[in-house]
Amino acid sequence: MASNKYQYELTYVISGVVQQNQVDDIVRKVNHLIESNDGDVLEVDEWGNQRLAYEIDRKRSGYYVNMYFKAPGSLIDRLERELQINDDVLRYLTLRMDEKMQRHYEREKKREAKKKEEEAAAEEEAEDETDDE
Amino acid sequence: MPGPDDVDYEHIEYVDYKDTEFLEQFINNQGKILPRRVTDVPARVQRQITTAIKRARHLALLPYVSESIR
Repeated sequence: MASNKYQYELTYVISGVVQQNQVDDIVRKVNHLIESNDGDVLEVDEWGNQRLAYEIDRKRSGYYVNMYFKAPGSLIDRLERELQINDDVLRYLTLRMDEKMQRHYEREKKREAKKKEEEAAAEEEAEDETDDE
Repeated sequence: MPGPDDVDYEHIEYVDYKDTEFLEQFINNQGKILPRRVTDVPARVQRQITTAIKRARHLALLPYVSESIR
């Protein structure tokens, strides 16, 4: 059955007091849930531990994970249920990407790639300069 | 007015909730969203900024009430 797949953006916040290996477990579990249900994970970007703008359940910091995936709509309910049940996940936000968001996503990606390229070029230049000496 | 003058608000297509640095220009020191008569951005963009700020607040990227007056 060829069900319709949509592109989604998901950001979730894991409690900052959770150990790193448990954080990895949660991330792996989320990715696995998507992949085992006819979804494709496109990108997972872990922002790492950040200070929360306000206290949630007495916690002042959280581990942010921002990811993009393609999946059939029926998966979202189950995914959000998993996140809701997990007490270590403080917050989550799933957005279905419309065309504007997708274009924005592509633009950001291009910008990042360009930035990396420039940084690499700058580094090379710096190296060249040291060679001249 | 928040934001440098050279920002072309007309050409903003999507306001990202992850870009907190940008969104911070549109909240006052209490954490409230500034009205359009202050921000002076196009209505279309103001609407997007509002939802983006609310999303960022939910994820604790921005405060509902700023630390200083809590």
